[in-house]
Amino acid sequence: MAVRYKKPSNGSHGGSYLIHNKNAFPSQLNKTGGHAKATTCASKTLQALTSAAMVLPGLLLTTAHATEVAGGDRINFQFSRYQEGKRNLFGAPNNFEPIRADVLHGSGIFSLTSRAKFSFSYTQDVWSGATPITTSPLAANPYQSILGNSSSGATVVGASPLINPQGLLLDRDLNPIMQDPVSGQQLGTDTRSVLVLASASPEVRNQANFRLGYEWDDAAIDASAGFSLENDYRSSFGNLGGRMDFNQKLTSVKFGAGYTSSNISAILDHDSAPYLTKTAFSRQIETRGGSEILHGERQDWAANLGLSQVLTQHALIDANLGYTHSSGFLENPYKAMTVIFVDPDVLNDGLSTPVLGDVRALLEQRPNQRNQWAFSTKYIQHITPLDAALHLNYKFTTDDWGINTNTFSANWIQPLPFGWTITPRIRYYSQDRANFYDPFLVSQQNFSSRAFDSLGREIWVNALNPEMEFVRDENFNLLDGEGNPVDESMLNVQPKTIAFDSEKLPDNFSSDHRLAGFGSLSGGFTLSKQFAKGIALEAGFEYYTRASSMKLGGGGGNSFADFDYYVANAALKLNLESLRLPTSGGRIHHHHHHNENDKSGDLPALHHMHNQPAGLMFGHMLDKAGEFMVGYRFMYSRSAGNLLHGTKAAHDQLIVDQGCSDTALCRFAPTYMDMKMHMLDIMYAPTKWLNLMVMPQFMDMEMNLRELDGRPPPVPDVHEHTGIAGHTTGIIGDTNISALIKLYEIPGHRIHAGIGVNAPTGKTDLQLRRIAKIDGGSIHFGMQLGSGTWDFVPSLTYTGEHNRWSWGAQVNGVKRMENRNESGYRLGDIFQATTWGGFDLTNWLTASIRGVYTIQDSIHGDFNSFNARIGPMDFPVNYGGQFWNVGFGVNAMIPGGRFSGNHFGFEWLQPVSTDVNGFQLDRKGALAASWSYRF
Amino acid sequence: MTLKQFLVILSILVLGTVISGCAHVAAWERGHLAKPQMAIDPYPLQNHIQLHNYSSREAAASTHSADGGGGCGCY
Repeated sequence: MAVRYKKPSNGSHGGSYLIHNKNAFPSQLNKTGGHAKATTCASKTLQALTSAAMVLPGLLLTTAHATEVAGGDRINFQFSRYQEGKRNLFGAPNNFEPIRADVLHGSGIFSLTSRAKFSFSYTQDVWSGATPITTSPLAANPYQSILGNSSSGATVVGASPLINPQGLLLDRDLNPIMQDPVSGQQLGTDTRSVLVLASASPEVRNQANFRLGYEWDDAAIDASAGFSLENDYRSSFGNLGGRMDFNQKLTSVKFGAGYTSSNISAILDHDSAPYLTKTAFSRQIETRGGSEILHGERQDWAANLGLSQVLTQHALIDANLGYTHSSGFLENPYKAMTVIFVDPDVLNDGLSTPVLGDVRALLEQRPNQRNQWAFSTKYIQHITPLDAALHLNYKFTTDDWGINTNTFSANWIQPLPFGWTITPRIRYYSQDRANFYDPFLVSQQNFSSRAFDSLGREIWVNALNPEMEFVRDENFNLLDGEGNPVDESMLNVQPKTIAFDSEKLPDNFSSDHRLAGFGSLSGGFTLSKQFAKGIALEAGFEYYTRASSMKLGGGGGNSFADFDYYVANAALKLNLESLRLPTSGGRIHHHHHHNENDKSGDLPALHHMHNQPAGLMFGHMLDKAGEFMVGYRFMYSRSAGNLLHGTKAAHDQLIVDQGCSDTALCRFAPTYMDMKMHMLDIMYAPTKWLNLMVMPQFMDMEMNLRELDGRPPPVPDVHEHTGIAGHTTGIIGDTNISALIKLYEIPGHRIHAGIGVNAPTGKTDLQLRRIAKIDGGSIHFGMQLGSGTWDFVPSLTYTGEHNRWSWGAQVNGVKRMENRNESGYRLGDIFQATTWGGFDLTNWLTASIRGVYTIQDSIHGDFNSFNARIGPMDFPVNYGGQFWNVGFGVNAMIPGGRFSGNHFGFEWLQPVSTDVNGFQLDRKGALAASWSYRF
Repeated sequence: MTLKQFLVILSILVLGTVISGCAHVAAWERGHLAKPQMAIDPYPLQNHIQLHNYSSREAAASTHSADGGGGCGCY
């Protein structure tokens, strides 16, 4: 909300305060008219009305989404980073990157009519790092190296199997016994547990939400729907909600109901899959392309009911009740339970020596239903001497898994002079364990045992047809069911084994530490600054620490799972209604309502400056000192199809032989690569002849590989990263900082120069995850997110216009200012020339056509870390080239109405000619879409 | 805590607020209440991120899960 007030001048009844601009609330004035108490003074009535109107948004704010329905039209951008600290592995070598999640969010709300609003939000997150897959007794030494035999003796061929195949010694009370890893000497019982981590390569999630809301005088309804997409988890959701006001809006009742349907198709980790026991889910597991995929479905029904009540002039209370019913596959498909199988015959043999436990990991099993209740309440008190607000929250939740939780939090919101607000906050949380949580289980049965027939003879089966059972006589001859000798040479005869009895295990079990009993304490602050013209910046930081010992009513006993994280975020919020209003000085900006009769002194070329092709950068300047522009640009490009060698398609054998190097022939080639880029475009004109720009870039990329025909055969027992399931990277790219300088201008013609740098904020050291205990190494050059070097980015632009025609030309370049980045290479320099022409189809719609020539050098240097070098995309010479494109574009400037002043542009860039360096995937085209708004 | 205890708490709360609601606050006396810092959710963007982080690290239910979304949080 960007409604701004002056403070009450005398602290008495509210009629004394003023609103900066009364025109901001015409619709609310009408709507609330019926609630006005009659007063004698006309001006007082108006003030009363406005105050009644203004109190409304405060009460509307029930959830993060509902806020988007209240208040004026606006657009928000937010970036946030979640970063965990390292887990405690009790001395095991911990070279795992902790979990990190970067979240990019954009949302907007627009009035369709005075009562109907449309809002959308888009969220993209990318996470990577090591995540716990199970918990193991520390004594089972889950992180020991695996030794392999080679000609020079035993060598370390890998590390970190999920479980120790040598088993674990237990005392007669089933406590684990620690052994010296080298000598095997018993060091006594050790009941500590340790998390078993596995690393993951980056994963991207995209979520989109759409919402329609409608408001009456005393009520509102809204409906929304959306989806969330990940490689392994897809969900779609919808909800209906509403609000009713009573008691002259002192009381509001809110209600909502929602449904979410999710589909899980989890690719089980190559590293851990061989160690996992998956029998309980065998019917849900599909094998495809050598990977095991676990399928599941789940449904969530949710309902909530809330009440907001004004208590006094200084206080209000808000209470909410929520219920969620979940059913289906509620497990986390990547979590397993460590189960130690102990032979009951050995355990009961009357001796006191340690027994050997067989350590196994079973996919976790949660109940397939969950009913959750949540109750939260918030008390908000205005602290008049400081004009601050104190928010006190309490939440209690309970569910039929046995988890009760309590949350206490407090925020102090302190407005400061010059539009600043600082909000410190603190939160304490505690939860009980789920009744099926255990760090690990011990089961008194064998994991597998030999099968005997009724005569006590061992049963053998044909592995090719397990239905065929045999026994052996005293001379080890194979006999069939009738006792006849069988020729063994045609069969693959194996001992028949009986698996453990799952009935002897609990129905449900999980070692996911999120279901353990623990407490957490977190604290942080939010700083926000409200600028003039409806722009607000917000930044926040929070530090969170989880400790089993902080659980309410005693420790949870799982301190091995303690961790901490921090979250930092920054947001830009634009209130479009405030932007459109005259400033407090009363000067009205007309430039976005430009029309034929505009005599405001703007140059006639101005109109066309807004309507350049969407893919063009640095192409226009702002014309007035003090003017701002905020824009968003989306670019998508796709490469697919043939692999080119120069200008011609290359066949596989040529790529195998020449695409890589003499010592390493190519084995794989890309089938496609998609790149999506989101750019924020922030521009400010301190003077008419100088503009400053900042453009943060966010990108995600996806590549899929195929095996080349005629490739050298794989080395036995060495796993290759096939990339057939695809791999992705994201999210922060480089950041451009530029200045545009006006060089020459006469009516209809102008020239300006751009001088900028690309700051290396994008990563260049992204790695493919370890698979099958083999490091993936650096991910292909083209999938890294930035250049890694400081780059100089100059440009020179000429633009002209006459009547309905506009045209222009630009040369620009990128010059790397360092010899190599931290990863050991630098990208090639770029030179680009482009020229375009446009024609106004109507006074608000322009069509454009453009030609673009680009030349880029190949990569210099090479990765200074391990790189698998499996295909042309891993070799520096296979980058850069000469490219010709033709662009077809349309631009629209909304001339009037509610969306007046918004600019939209689309451009499709069609490749015309491509001459690549070395071997590269052919280009299919690129789309640019842009939105901008000046104020 | 059972559902019954829940409902007891809820009804106490509803009753309490209805009673306190009798202390009438006239429209022109709501100036402080209308300030941004008095909004029930003053930082919706940040709040959304925080809730997402908490829900991927804690087992508590939400009072506004009817809003849907959120994905797996499988880390």
